[in-house]
Amino acid sequence: MLEPLLFAMFSGVAIGCALGVVFHKNSVHCALLLVGVLLSLAGIFILLHAQFVAALQVIVYAGAIMVLFLFVVMLLNVKGEVPLLTPGAAKGFGFFFALLILVELLWTVLSPGGQEGAPSEAVGLPRDFGSPAALGRLLYTTWLYPFEITSILLLVAVVGAVVLAKRKFF
Amino acid sequence: MIGLQTVPLLWYQILAAVLFTIGVVGVLVRRSALIIFMSIELMLNAVNLSLIAFSRQHGDMDGHIIVFFVMAVAAAEVSVGLAILVAIFRNRETANVDDVHLLKG
Repeated sequence: MLEPLLFAMFSGVAIGCALGVVFHKNSVHCALLLVGVLLSLAGIFILLHAQFVAALQVIVYAGAIMVLFLFVVMLLNVKGEVPLLTPGAAKGFGFFFALLILVELLWTVLSPGGQEGAPSEAVGLPRDFGSPAALGRLLYTTWLYPFEITSILLLVAVVGAVVLAKRKFF
Repeated sequence: MIGLQTVPLLWYQILAAVLFTIGVVGVLVRRSALIIFMSIELMLNAVNLSLIAFSRQHGDMDGHIIVFFVMAVAAAEVSVGLAILVAIFRNRETANVDDVHLLKG
């Protein structure tokens, strides 16, 4: 009985904070509201028995990435010369296409074919589902090459960020 | 064997769809490059939620692995993107994406 209650709570907080991210004036508040979204999603991940991913979500997203965001927000110190919403007709088009995407996504999810292939009842899970051990085992066997490529990607990102932020190139 | 699920998969998918749409709204109607970045993170997270929910439904952990990779790519994307943003701000004193139109001719 607890699960629907927690789901309602976390999803309510997530949607509320997400709306705040998009429509709040102050960039710092936007970043903090995004932390709210990420934390409530971590809660939902735990409901889905993905404990390790939830921990990663808190540490990597809510921790590392958001700190980076906050640093840049404070570094740039943009003083409200950016209008809140894009001016003119582009705003109407933006909302229209977003509505179109929502309708399309809900159509896909709700249509009879949307859940095709997925078991109608959630299957029982092995005891170690979502544990670091199970994830690590998959990561270092089936997904070894993608994992190694990811490490190269991160290295390239580090070098790229340093080069871009260096003053003398620009 | 653990935990039978009481919240159906559909609800998680609907939540993911709504969060993704809010992210799309952010990208389309805000002009601050920082907020656009945050909205992109929002969309990535919505997709992550969808993957985790399907993973739970199938009892298969491959979805968790994909989420792991999405997080790694998001971290790389954010670090490079924010570095670009800092470079743009240093040169043009703006974070408004409409003011960056050098290629417009």
